[in-house]
Amino acid sequence: MWLAFDFLWLPFLACLVLTGIHAYLGLHVLARGVIFVDLALAQVAALGITIAFLAGHTIQSDAAYWYALTFTVGGAVLFSVSRFRRAPIPQEAIIGIVYAVSAAAAVLVVDRAPQGSEHIKQLLVGSILTVTPKEVGALAILYAVIGALHWAIRRPLLQISFDPEAALRQGRWIRWWDFLFYASFGLVVTSSVRIAGVLLVFSYLIVPAAVGALLTRSVTGRLTIGWALGSLVSVIGLSASYLWDLPTGATVVTTFGALLAAVALGLGVRTLIQELRQRGLSALIGVGIAGSAIVGMLGLLLVLFPQMDHHWLNWVEEAAPSVQLLFLTPRERQTYWDSQEAIRKGLADLQRLRAFQQEVQWGTRHMPADQEERLRQFLAGRSEITAGDRLVLRTLRSKARERQRYWLGVPLFAVGGVGALALARARRRGTA
Amino acid sequence: MHRALALFPLLVGWVAPAWGGPLAVVTSSTDLKALVEAVGGDRVRVESLAPAIHEPHAVEVKPSQLAELKSAVLLVRIGLDHEPWLPRVLQTLSDPRFAPGSPHYLETWKGIRLLQTETPRLRADRGVHLHGFGNTHYWLDPGNARPMTGAILGALSRLAPADSPSFEANRKRFLEQLDARLGRWTQAMAPYGGTRVVVAHETWPYFAERFGLKIVAALEPTPGVPPSPSYLAKLTQQMREAGIKVLIAEPSSSASLVNEVAIRSGARVVTLIPSVGGNPEAGDYLALFDLNIKRLAETLAAGR
Repeated sequence: MWLAFDFLWLPFLACLVLTGIHAYLGLHVLARGVIFVDLALAQVAALGITIAFLAGHTIQSDAAYWYALTFTVGGAVLFSVSRFRRAPIPQEAIIGIVYAVSAAAAVLVVDRAPQGSEHIKQLLVGSILTVTPKEVGALAILYAVIGALHWAIRRPLLQISFDPEAALRQGRWIRWWDFLFYASFGLVVTSSVRIAGVLLVFSYLIVPAAVGALLTRSVTGRLTIGWALGSLVSVIGLSASYLWDLPTGATVVTTFGALLAAVALGLGVRTLIQELRQRGLSALIGVGIAGSAIVGMLGLLLVLFPQMDHHWLNWVEEAAPSVQLLFLTPRERQTYWDSQEAIRKGLADLQRLRAFQQEVQWGTRHMPADQEERLRQFLAGRSEITAGDRLVLRTLRSKARERQRYWLGVPLFAVGGVGALALARARRRGTA
Repeated sequence: MHRALALFPLLVGWVAPAWGGPLAVVTSSTDLKALVEAVGGDRVRVESLAPAIHEPHAVEVKPSQLAELKSAVLLVRIGLDHEPWLPRVLQTLSDPRFAPGSPHYLETWKGIRLLQTETPRLRADRGVHLHGFGNTHYWLDPGNARPMTGAILGALSRLAPADSPSFEANRKRFLEQLDARLGRWTQAMAPYGGTRVVVAHETWPYFAERFGLKIVAALEPTPGVPPSPSYLAKLTQQMREAGIKVLIAEPSSSASLVNEVAIRSGARVVTLIPSVGGNPEAGDYLALFDLNIKRLAETLAAGR
């Protein structure tokens, strides 16, 4: 676990820095309804760096940074000018167009300089796992300065984001404030994307703000929830990535999705409980109809296509093997247990010998070359046998499916169908 | 009249070989281009579809290249599943000449002893799924240039029998140069025989086998999918314990990932060029190995 800490503390700090600024900027972005503006600005900055590269500067050079900054400011000008009160097209359309065109333009430019294309692509991929202390430090300082600036001018910025009509009535210089907002936002996004990649930055920007908006109305409340949630997801995502051996950035993004789904589910259950208190059991009829319909549907699919992938049945059988064994003859059952045992033994063997082979390969254990080859061939053969045992289990499963088709599929279909119809009728009577 | 003029270049493309102009050949990679040029000399005009450094799944063919392919008399490719983008291009072209068995179509993998040819079931078991038919980077063993140029010679001679002696002479000259250099390269690498190295991608098994290196692990077992923190932690620990001194990267490797592993494991990074043209110094097939061996030997010497 210390090894994990050694690898993950820096990414974790980086995640906290990202949470700090992005959860806040996300509030603005969500309120203004310009969800994809970060992707567009990051792409514009990448286009700037691509052109810098073509002009003969290396990607890490100061010149490339200034090119990126200039392009980002250009994007900010475009977005602040393209905001109209009663526009014939929504601003999101302009953002999308800027994204697509600058991405395509970057492809055209890269085509002229093939030897740098991979590096430019990496500007948008980023890798949170391999951030350096210097990068995190620079980011923290930059974001602290931008955060302080936003704190100083919070009144006009928040009013323009959350209540543009009032801002207009008070005669605020909306375009200038917008320009300041988009320019600072572009600076943040461009810097973040470099180390964390587009997907991760987008998630840190939108998900905490979205959950905050689901749970409360006040800006401070949303910000607190966003920060807490961002930090929590960072911890869970990074730990999961280490424990289950998963790519880090993608794991954190998926964790954001899972947490948002959990919050939505929780809100749904809360509404349901409130209705249950008010209206009694009849509040559950809608859920009951949906549940019965799903059960009936699963049964029908089992009857019609017994050999298709029934993942739910696989899970049930894994948890309770008797659901499958019940549909096998005694002889088939014996084969089932034999194969299970063989697979268990085979995997244990393979694991042991592979560890052995690894040691030989790394040179921490010595073995003559001929024996090494023998071990390699044995491992190949042994894993083929285990794979064969797995195939036996699959054959048994598909045999069981043919019998479950009628003994399980038909009853499920009947119960689900009748249940859904009965509940629907009860509901009609209730409303009538 | 104008229409007839417009047709003229197309006609020339088709008829030129019969007139004795250079044969138009299209290859899927710059390495094959270099080898075809070595055999064909000034009797061929070669165009490569993919640039020197590219992601195998992101090659976008341009209209001019389609036209080039249309008027070419020979398509040379690596084969196996090295060019997942090529079948669609050929489908677009729907030219019966570019199909297996045709004299206008050549896959150079035949006659080469392929590495990493485990069955798909075994690979699925170990969680790696690189190539369905074995590792495809076989041009990185300079010894394989012999069968590859042999196949190219056969294909070119069939298409232009009159030029066959000149092709044969070209190939002979090329192989003589290759053998001379191969001796020099092997000599340069001899002191480091059996050295264990870690690679960024599974590009180098043929190269390593030729020059006596042992590849023990890859940073990105699945190309394009970043490694997990636990994999990296285990890998760097193993590298320290086993005393791995050299980490072979490529121009397309993620610089931050490679640097991180180098710092944590204490290994030295050497960037090798996997294809002709991937670096200005690697202008042809022999120069490619000159550069790679030079870089590798320097790194190995420094790591002693």
